[in-house]
Amino acid sequence: MSNGEKEQIAAKPLRLSGSQPFTQQAGVFIMLGERTNVAGSPKFAKLIKEGKYEEAVAVARQQVENGANVIDICMDEGMIDGVAAMTRYLQLLASEPEVAKVPFMVDSSKWEVIEAGLKTLQGKGIVNSISLKEGEEKFRANAAAVMKYGAAVVVMAFDEQGQAASFAEKIRICERAYRILVDQVGFPPEDIIFDPNILTVATGMEEHNNYAVDFIDATRWIKGNLPHAKVSGGVSNISFSFRGNNKVREAMHSAFLYHAIQAGMDMGIVNAGMLEVYEEIEPELKVLVEDVLLNRRADSTERLVEFGERLKRASSGDTAQQEKKTEEWRNGTVEERLAHALVRGIDAYIEQDAEEARVKLGRPLLVIEGPLMDGMSVVGDLFGAGKMFLPQVVKSARVMKKAVAHLTPYMEAEKAEMVASGQKVKAQGKIVLATVKGDVHDIGKNIVGVVLACNNYEVIDMGVMVSAEKILERAKAERADIIGLSGLITPSLDEMVHVAREMERQGFTQPLLIGGATTSRAHTAVKIAPHYSHPVVHVLDASRAVPVTTSLLSEDGRDAFIAEHRADYEALRRKHAAPAQKVIPLDTARARRTPIVWRAEDLPTPSFTGVRVLNDFPLATLRDYIDWSPFFHTWGLKGIYPRILDDKNQGVEAKKIFHDGQALLDTIIAETLLTARGVYGFFPAQAVGDDVALYADESRTGELARLHFLRQQANREGTEPCRSLADFIAPLETALPDHIGLFAVTSGIGLKALGDRFREQHDDYNAIMAEAIADRLAEAFAECLHKCVRDEWGYGLAEHLAPADLIQEKYRGIRPAPGYPACPDHTEKGTIWRLLDAEANTGIKLTENFAMWPGSSISGIYFAHPQSRYFSLGKIDRDQVIDYHARKGMSVLEAERWLGPNLNFDPGDQVA
Amino acid sequence: MKPQTHPLQEILKHRIAIIDGAMGTTIRTYGMTEHDIRGQRFQDADKDLLNNGDLFSISQPDMICDIHRRFLEAGADIIETNTFGATSITQSEFFVEDPRETGGRKDPAFYQKIIDDPMLQNLAWEINETSAKQCREWADRVGNETGRQRFVAGAIGPLTVSLSNSPDADDAGFRVVTFDQVKIAYKEQTRALIAGGSDLLLVETIFDSLNAKAALVAIREVFDEDGFTSAGNELPVMISAAVGRGGETLISAQTTEAFWNAVQHVKPLSVGLNCSLGPDLMYPFLSELSAKADVAISCYPNAGLPNPLSETGFDLGPDDMARFLGGFAGDGLINIAGGCCGNTPAHIAAIAKALEGRAPRVLARELVAA
Repeated sequence: MSNGEKEQIAAKPLRLSGSQPFTQQAGVFIMLGERTNVAGSPKFAKLIKEGKYEEAVAVARQQVENGANVIDICMDEGMIDGVAAMTRYLQLLASEPEVAKVPFMVDSSKWEVIEAGLKTLQGKGIVNSISLKEGEEKFRANAAAVMKYGAAVVVMAFDEQGQAASFAEKIRICERAYRILVDQVGFPPEDIIFDPNILTVATGMEEHNNYAVDFIDATRWIKGNLPHAKVSGGVSNISFSFRGNNKVREAMHSAFLYHAIQAGMDMGIVNAGMLEVYEEIEPELKVLVEDVLLNRRADSTERLVEFGERLKRASSGDTAQQEKKTEEWRNGTVEERLAHALVRGIDAYIEQDAEEARVKLGRPLLVIEGPLMDGMSVVGDLFGAGKMFLPQVVKSARVMKKAVAHLTPYMEAEKAEMVASGQKVKAQGKIVLATVKGDVHDIGKNIVGVVLACNNYEVIDMGVMVSAEKILERAKAERADIIGLSGLITPSLDEMVHVAREMERQGFTQPLLIGGATTSRAHTAVKIAPHYSHPVVHVLDASRAVPVTTSLLSEDGRDAFIAEHRADYEALRRKHAAPAQKVIPLDTARARRTPIVWRAEDLPTPSFTGVRVLNDFPLATLRDYIDWSPFFHTWGLKGIYPRILDDKNQGVEAKKIFHDGQALLDTIIAETLLTARGVYGFFPAQAVGDDVALYADESRTGELARLHFLRQQANREGTEPCRSLADFIAPLETALPDHIGLFAVTSGIGLKALGDRFREQHDDYNAIMAEAIADRLAEAFAECLHKCVRDEWGYGLAEHLAPADLIQEKYRGIRPAPGYPACPDHTEKGTIWRLLDAEANTGIKLTENFAMWPGSSISGIYFAHPQSRYFSLGKIDRDQVIDYHARKGMSVLEAERWLGPNLNFDPGDQVA
Repeated sequence: MKPQTHPLQEILKHRIAIIDGAMGTTIRTYGMTEHDIRGQRFQDADKDLLNNGDLFSISQPDMICDIHRRFLEAGADIIETNTFGATSITQSEFFVEDPRETGGRKDPAFYQKIIDDPMLQNLAWEINETSAKQCREWADRVGNETGRQRFVAGAIGPLTVSLSNSPDADDAGFRVVTFDQVKIAYKEQTRALIAGGSDLLLVETIFDSLNAKAALVAIREVFDEDGFTSAGNELPVMISAAVGRGGETLISAQTTEAFWNAVQHVKPLSVGLNCSLGPDLMYPFLSELSAKADVAISCYPNAGLPNPLSETGFDLGPDDMARFLGGFAGDGLINIAGGCCGNTPAHIAAIAKALEGRAPRVLARELVAA
């Protein structure tokens, strides 16, 4: 026989699933939640019998929250129709995402109830149970059926002769069942879970005294001799004779599990919320309990009973303390609580919170259009980001429905009052939904319908394959407020255009909503909206249906929403109408890179490599480097400094702000109101295709990072080179060592405090002035640092340029910045920040969108080659985006998002 | 009980097998009209039939066979029958009035009438059998001409109803249709696909895992009841899911590994992903599946996400698809590759060319204790 220990190590884990996978971890006990079992929980039984399924669902939810890995569901009770109750309950749980994520155990002694349960499980659950009670043939048939549905199975140690109580009987029946399952039925052994019967001890009957030991020994034997099989049991049975004494029972359960798990027990039906920690059992009680469980002395039962009585008397004074744990999220504001409840799909407090919000905001409608709608928008964002799934969106809507239901009577009362006082009252919104003619796709539209209905809209779902005339006829008859069209296949797009045209022809005025997998915002704007003079709005997914509908029907928000929507779609149409530029293939563009003859003498070596930090750079020095012309542009004056001061139209104004600016700059410098910090570095570098590789040292073996550049592709018909910044660094294959520089500078430290100080004094003029000056200082800093860098590189020492020449960039080399025309992808700043450790060295942070904070910060890349020059990338084609995404390791969608303005094609609006 | 190795299984050991592209997209390039799909037979139908593409196998067999031939000549080892919607349930959408138009609703009572309707039953059978026969003929013809065996996959689609979702705002436990009704419809389809000569059964574009489970139970019952199990000549089953941005089956929201745990018992020939996301966004979920599943991995994505403003409705061209799937092969992720919506014979030819001579993913067998 094989060695038990080894076998256990090699055992295949149990794999199950709900909507999420579950894989058994070695040495981790699987908790099967028991509170959704009518036999184990009188409270649950009562809920089911009274048809209070909603509350029964909450019980399942608590089980999962309390840490149950799998929940055991049993409807075996004389007064309950097992098949109907099992089906209904499991179908409700399927709509409860927080519960549906775990696997379910379908528990019944009736096969038809088990099969009804299996027909509702999308995942791999567990059947509890089958046995040899009715002979081998029935056993084989049931096992084969379990396999057909794809579930694991609990096998009770029970056969034609009855339930196995002794060790010998337990292992005999389990081995027999195992051989039939594995050898005859072909059942995967890792999916077989034996329940060798946990029977009650300490009953006063001597023959029961060894029951716990028998179970534990049988467990050890099964794990050692039946490869991959698992062991489970209903734990609370063991302590049945101590009913009413939870302290003793909990101790017994923990001690029993402690020993059974050591013997190899994999899982058990336990009340996850009621389990003492083994180490924390009172020492005296632990000895007594273990005496009983391990059958260590003849009088162990009496001793435990006596101790139990004492315990009961002692604790009779204090009432059972229902531990009321306040969940942390309950401490937030009512708005936060409502949002949390919607996002997490929790309806326990929603009415209470809705009421609190109603009192706070004064009118029920403000609760719906305010915090509730905000919460639904969060849901929409999360869904759009792939962080929530459709069933969760639907669940959120159902929670919303409860809140709305609570508010409805108040709205009715409000309306009644308004009617009584002679005001006009708007009825509840009515929406006609249909999948258009020619298209049979139903489910997505149904979900939109549910979400809208949950928001108190009256939804008239006309189904699928509905012709334009029928939709419009119905919309007229019902006086619908909005018409929603759905479609999933390409030909439906034309049908939607047809409906829009018909609405125009028949003089409709209601908004038209467009949704479904093949539709898009751009298509709606370009192809559908122009045919109808009233709003045609694309709804990206079910989660967006409510905000759009609410805005369209809101008395206050409607006009603003429509105006914004029109402008938005107009922009889309203009973008689409812009003729695509002529682009050449990327390969051709690459063949036409900037023609540079590589010579060692054009590649200066900087005086150091690595990173240097400039703390508190003197502002007085920077002053000389300021280019003042943009300063005037900030104030809306157009011209070049210093000529602008004498301009006959703008001169007076220009002189005044120049004077004020100089005065403020004097103060800033004198009182060090702003601090300038910078960091820069040189790195050995070589071009590799359109990338530039940066190395740790001159050995050029360890690559630190790569900068990714793009190449001009559009309007390059002549012989004009197709430039890329990578062209200005010597390619690897030239074997000529080259270098690149990086920098980040700021003069914005202190700016916010300075601006705030002016604003507090209601001096907006100087607040803006401070920002304008900080911006100038930052530019000056970049210019000044570039001068230092050229000197470090050597060639700058021979420049002899006046500041005015510097401003006109009459020097050799460039310092382009990510996010500007030559390299428009802002995310390249991330590489610069990493290499310079820029945040730690200067305090400049990159935001999520790769903007620099504080403002008045500049970063960039230094190129030294004499032929390096600024250029504008212009439009690029899809081939380059696909190439770029692979180089950069970001998805195509993401690349398209960052390069949006440079795309010479319409990526569709899936990016939005 | 040991099943013999299927010839396709043999092929999968040595190379990446190619599966065909999109029927719907390709049909649309033929410029067919409502008149063409109706022919004599359906000329009096009340509803538009043009998008009921499966019907073309009956009314325009020449076009459909031409498409099958083109995919085979493009290099497909496996062609799918044109039966994505060939069940009584899906066909009912085109032939039975939707009760909701007149204020009624769809529920199990409605669908019971559908699955009991002899017209729909016969039509579903006929489409499946006819399409399988057409595929069989062309697979064998091109197979003989080229000396390379081709296979017919009986395509079993996802249905227009969901077993996991309630369309009733007041009752999350409501379902329009029952598991048994869905199973019955799938059993009819399975039998007809086998009768027409399918080599494989392909449960595909799964957006609701419970629908898929009903199809898999149906297949098992057909095998058991019709003697395939006892004769040891069950058809290999392929399984393919359509997932969303989180890797979840779109409607029932089951994540990739959970899905695999739920269907693994079928011992499929392959499991994989198709449709929905396009290759780019599909990648992480494909690699997850590839790491977890110990059977062949299939991958036939859409030609990118749908873009209604592009000519074919999808953005990626043949070269793009070839590049993506070539990348997947390079990463050792796939055993079967092709395309879904938006992929024409030109796409499949490019994919086949890119994958020629490329090593298939090595099947990772779970180590079993001796």
